[in-house]
Amino acid sequence: MTAALSGVLEFAPPLVLAALGGVLSERAGVVNIGLEGMMRAGAFAAAVGAFFTGSPWLGLACGAAAGIAAAAVHAALSLRFRADQVVSGIAINLVMLGLTSFLLEATFGSSGVTPPVPALPRDSAGRTALAWIALALPLLLHFGFSRTATGLRIRAVGENPHAAATSGVRVLPLRAACVLGSGALAGLGGAALSVGILGQFDVRMPAGQGFMALAAMVFGRWTPLGAAGAAFFFAGADALQRQLSFSLHAADLRLSGVFLALPYALTLLVLAVGAGRIRAPAADGIAYDPEDPTTTPESRT
Amino acid sequence: MTSWRERLLAPGREPVWGSSLAVLVAVAASFLVVAASGKDAALGFAYLVEGAFGGPGPLGETALKSGVLVLTGLSVATAFTVGLFNIGAEGQLIWGALAAAVVGHALDVPALLLVPASLFAAGGAGALWGLLAGALKVYRGVHEVISTILLNWIAIHLVHGWLVPGPLGASGSGTSVSIAGTEAIRPAAWLPRLLPGSRLDLGLPIALACATLAWFVLTRARIGFEWRAVGAGAGAAEACGIPIRRRICQAMALSGAFAGLAGALLVLGTEHRYPGVFRTGYGFDGIAVALIGGATSPGVVAAGVVFGAVRAGATRLQLAGIHPSFAELIQGIAVLLVAAPRLFAPLLVRLRTYARPPGAPP
Repeated sequence: MTAALSGVLEFAPPLVLAALGGVLSERAGVVNIGLEGMMRAGAFAAAVGAFFTGSPWLGLACGAAAGIAAAAVHAALSLRFRADQVVSGIAINLVMLGLTSFLLEATFGSSGVTPPVPALPRDSAGRTALAWIALALPLLLHFGFSRTATGLRIRAVGENPHAAATSGVRVLPLRAACVLGSGALAGLGGAALSVGILGQFDVRMPAGQGFMALAAMVFGRWTPLGAAGAAFFFAGADALQRQLSFSLHAADLRLSGVFLALPYALTLLVLAVGAGRIRAPAADGIAYDPEDPTTTPESRT
Repeated sequence: MTSWRERLLAPGREPVWGSSLAVLVAVAASFLVVAASGKDAALGFAYLVEGAFGGPGPLGETALKSGVLVLTGLSVATAFTVGLFNIGAEGQLIWGALAAAVVGHALDVPALLLVPASLFAAGGAGALWGLLAGALKVYRGVHEVISTILLNWIAIHLVHGWLVPGPLGASGSGTSVSIAGTEAIRPAAWLPRLLPGSRLDLGLPIALACATLAWFVLTRARIGFEWRAVGAGAGAAEACGIPIRRRICQAMALSGAFAGLAGALLVLGTEHRYPGVFRTGYGFDGIAVALIGGATSPGVVAAGVVFGAVRAGATRLQLAGIHPSFAELIQGIAVLLVAAPRLFAPLLVRLRTYARPPGAPP
């Protein structure tokens, strides 16, 4: 039981952080399919940062910075140039897939992994600071969304940006800030994979965790607590699957794919059954054009 | 009488120019990245061209990859016509590939029957997975971007983590579950090779036939018109008596069938089994191909061939010490650029003012 719990706390932070990143961006009305690419950028940059500075903390900072850089591209494309947000996110994923593989080879001469990098310090129970961040941040974000003026403004631009603009909210800068924040969280999530868990960058990272974070965000109904809860739940299923594959006979190991598919299947099931009750922010994915009132959610068919 | 310059720069051609420009800028930007990393970009470019076009072997590789990319591109483009964004080509491709591997192994019939049967099975499997996303959309209101992403990962984990290493795995392959894959398909199921000295097979002709079919259905047939009507405005289409739910499901099924066929090309053409390690990414590349091809059949063919050539050529880049991920980089940057048509709009406007004869009305 305690082993499973520490397994969850070990493997959940990347997923929790990225899922919170998704919540932050989408509650402000910007779809972020690019979480996977932002995590990848963060994972690589964190390993590079930790390797060259010798400090895992600076590595985490580099990871967040790389996530912000990738998110800046997303923000520029989807807000400044009003690109389709889904397309922009896909482009981020494609670019980061190619760019990090290329830079990995160019920097370390390897097409697989970076050398081991300095690891984060762990407490007596083997937890890193990231575990505590993953526990505290959802509460913080929940408080921010529900109790602060900024949180209210963020939710307003995600539901009806034109109404928010009339009440004096500067829609595009606020959305941009949320997208950048989303990138920072996803980048930190990626850093949690490389510097936090594995101690090096692997070219396969984040292996779909960005998409699983999206699933967690949807499963959690676009709320910080819900998304984080779903992320912990998914990470728990993953930890359980790892334990089973160690304890059971090798032949049963071949069922591991079923376990891995479970979070996605559950999310789909919940969406299909709870249709109508689970709702994305109303203006999610709609470009905001201050001159064009038809970009309000009501005019969408 | 319009000049050729005016015709080339007509407003309707903006997407063509935008896409071409995007690809060119992406290639240039990628080479800057290579040069900045201290590699010999010119040598790399030479290897890239040689690896894509230098003789029958490379041309065959280009054709193989183009065929798959054209099909996944058509898959995404078909879904676009009804206004749906099919991110799920990857999952549909995986089921198609698995169906082709199973049928190609299980049936003992002559090649003339076995190849079509395997292709049919692959198309059917892909169509079902696509249909699922369509049905979830119209009957349960699940947004297709989310459902297709989820369905991708369900397919990846079920097939790669369970079916291929487990129930469908090759027997007697020992304990190395990760690399075994399924049983090899019968040689009768192999796609016929067309050219000695190259792996060029029936794949690209099949893909081109599908592109022609898609072009005809989408632009000349009544059902394609109705699909486009649904995509342009579901409310108006419904008011005209078009059964929008059924049309969306049909389009998603065809979309999935194209992706499934792409999987069949990989299995029947080159892999000859469902391999134990099968991370293609062709499904995701199909999104890039469809976007850069402007979601039209001719555009998808053009974009598919360009990226097929880049993918084929990239395998030679290692000779110049450049990582083959270069191909993904070009593709990604090109999508970034077409993602924002407004990036190029000012440039095109300026080009058109140059093309206009002096004194002509704007």
